Amino acid sequence: MKARKIVLTSGKGGVGKTTATVNIGAALAKRGHRVILVDTDIGLRNLDLVLGLEKRIVFDLVEVIEGRCQVRQALIKDKRFESLAILPAAQTRNKDAITEDQMAGLIDELATMADYVLIDCPAGIEGGFRNAIAGADEAIVVTTPEVSAIRDADRVIGKLAEKNIPMRLIVNRIRPEMVRTGDMLSIDDVCEILSIELLGIIPDDEEIIDTTNRGEPLVLGEGYRLRSIYEKIVRRLEGDLIPFTNLDAPGFFGRLIGALKAG
Amino acid sequence: MAVLRGKGLGLEIALGERDFEEALAELQGKLGERPGFYSGAQATAALGRASPSEDQLARLRALLGDHGVVLEALSGEAHVGTLAVEQGLRYVADLDGGEELARRRALRPKRELQLSDAARSLAADFAGARTDIAVRRSRGESSVRRMTPVPEPAAAPAEAEPVAPATLYHVGTLRGGQALHNVGNIVVIGDVNPGAELIAGGDIAVFGSLRGVAHAGAQGDAGARVYAVDLAPTQLRIATLIAADAGSREGSKQPEAACVQNDRIMIVPLDRVGAAKKTKEKVD
Amino acid sequence: MFPLREPYDVAQPPVSAAPVKLGRAIVVTSGKGGVGKTTTTANLGTALAKRGVSVALVDADVGLRNLDILLGLESRIRYHLLDVLEEKVELDDALVRDKHTPNLYLLAAAQSREKEEVDTESMRDLIEELRERFEYVLIDCPAGIEMGFKNAVVGAQEAIVVCTPEVSAVRDVDRVVGLLGNAFAPKLIINRVRPHLVHKGKMLSVEDVNSILRLPLLGVIADEPDVIVSTNKGEPLALRSDSQAAAAYHAIAARVAGEDVPAPMVEYKETFMDKLGSLLGGRR
Repeated sequence: MKARKIVLTSGKGGVGKTTATVNIGAALAKRGHRVILVDTDIGLRNLDLVLGLEKRIVFDLVEVIEGRCQVRQALIKDKRFESLAILPAAQTRNKDAITEDQMAGLIDELATMADYVLIDCPAGIEGGFRNAIAGADEAIVVTTPEVSAIRDADRVIGKLAEKNIPMRLIVNRIRPEMVRTGDMLSIDDVCEILSIELLGIIPDDEEIIDTTNRGEPLVLGEGYRLRSIYEKIVRRLEGDLIPFTNLDAPGFFGRLIGALKAG
Repeated sequence: MAVLRGKGLGLEIALGERDFEEALAELQGKLGERPGFYSGAQATAALGRASPSEDQLARLRALLGDHGVVLEALSGEAHVGTLAVEQGLRYVADLDGGEELARRRALRPKRELQLSDAARSLAADFAGARTDIAVRRSRGESSVRRMTPVPEPAAAPAEAEPVAPATLYHVGTLRGGQALHNVGNIVVIGDVNPGAELIAGGDIAVFGSLRGVAHAGAQGDAGARVYAVDLAPTQLRIATLIAADAGSREGSKQPEAACVQNDRIMIVPLDRVGAAKKTKEKVD
Repeated sequence: MFPLREPYDVAQPPVSAAPVKLGRAIVVTSGKGGVGKTTTTANLGTALAKRGVSVALVDADVGLRNLDILLGLESRIRYHLLDVLEEKVELDDALVRDKHTPNLYLLAAAQSREKEEVDTESMRDLIEELRERFEYVLIDCPAGIEMGFKNAVVGAQEAIVVCTPEVSAVRDVDRVVGLLGNAFAPKLIINRVRPHLVHKGKMLSVEDVNSILRLPLLGVIADEPDVIVSTNKGEPLALRSDSQAAAAYHAIAARVAGEDVPAPMVEYKETFMDKLGSLLGGRR
């Protein structure tokens, strides 16, 4: 059975695509799937950094496509998760180093080696974006509940729809207290504007900053709140119907005004 | 051997290995082929071991004069020097031809760098193909690379030693995404940030913090080294060996060098690194 | 094995021959998305205009325009950048006056077009034309280093790079600084600092960031929920007088204008403030 090829994209930069790619990938691997993460942000690579694997890069995606090494030589296996590997981007090259067809071919090859291929897409809607979606069968659109992010996500959704790529939404960095005071858009607002199926709601949490800087996926640690949220996202990806949990439950934020959801 | 050929800025007339009259006749024919073409050129007569008579030399000069070519030098073995003085010409020590000399040269050990064809072509890429072609021409080789290795004519004593690949100096900080590649050594006066890449056939020295990727001895020289005032690279490579720190190297307190010992990359404080053992062993 | 690479060429700003005193064109860039380029452009522009100078803001993020939203001007956009570049309308018709601040004008990006449709030379000419009319032209650069970046940078003489205290942001910003080279004299703004996290060692400090970037520091801005609110409301923070971030933007504007302004008011603990003070006092 061939792998599912999923691109994570957003339009707006800095909303959490790479962090989501890493954590979803790690959570999938933890459940026993073979996962390959692909960094397509040529020239601005970060996937390796967020996973803490930057020191082990020998070959990159461009070198694979140019035939200067085998795919297996370029893949870096994560030592913490048995079945997780990444294919890093090149840092000293530019996005015009490869074409959409080359990318699609590479993703297909990777799909023969794994159950899930997650493609981390660069910000924007230029060549780098077009290359990243070239190999994908499905998309996860990541946004934050901010007007500019939503507008950009909307543009990206339009482009994905043109290519008939099925997509689902993750809303990242939601701050329930700000939603309550009306200072932030609610999930319902966001879903209404973007009108695609919801895959996950992730609250803003400082633990992300530290784990990202240290190169450790959240799902590694025991004490992280966001871990269970990523695990639920992964189960939804696998096809389970998991309800979105109540943000107001004690132990989360402790306030009881309104029922806000996350998960 | 053609009787007439270009040499440096002028012409060379090859008279040493053959009958003088024959050569002169051929020369006449050659010059006559393209009237006026050689006018203004200066020529050296390569006599080798031969000792033409005064009369023969006079006829040579006259023939050249008819075509606007001036004979300005004679080259050959020692006796030619005397001849040149008599004729009021410049003397050039024998550059090629002369069996005795050739035999002696063949016995002399080669002093060239043991670069394989592949490495030499790599050197051409880096130093510029023009330089490579110029070097080949000066040795008398063709300027087009041949596929099968051909034994080269021995280097002339008047020529300088084959030039070692130059050291690349970069003043300034190297930022992420920037790369320096050189066949010889690389010296950076500044920092090398994470995401930057240095690839050298020789050594690497950084007068600052080395935080990117450094690959020394990239053509297979395991004796190459990496020096830095603050050695904290993302990844270190020497020849075909790769090393990365398990933890993060907090800024080291002193200048250090990385070198290969016992088939592993070791990092040593600079004051203990000792003299370079440039044996150029290949690590397979 | 090591092919020669073409140097990544970023268009250099033109040397102005006009005797008229041209305004300063500054590009606000970062490489990494989501660090606060657009927010900085809007707020710095507002703060500068409040000092009485004329300011034009240019949104170069074709296809993903956002500067208009931050200023609350989205309903007032009739013509955009490409309309002007393609000479469908005059520059004057496309420039939109800011709602809140006199002397501040916006040239919005197109939403339904692509960055590749922007002609680089026309963009350069447009910035030049804006410089003839405004004392400051701030160009909001899109994320990335592709065509959008190149077109935003052409025409500018100076650059402000915005970075957050995160390892991936520092990497990306370093790359961009390398691409900009020395011609733009880039200066740094560190955005979205959370002093309590820095204090706990859970976030990079200003020193951590600038030990790699090594740029003159224009200012440090704390992460505030107010930023999100101001974006959603379309009222730049710099309009308020009660926010640390607003004060920081005003201080930055003063520095950009050439004033010698002491450390901004981002403080949590005494020690953090002292660090900032020494860093800013030492660098200009």
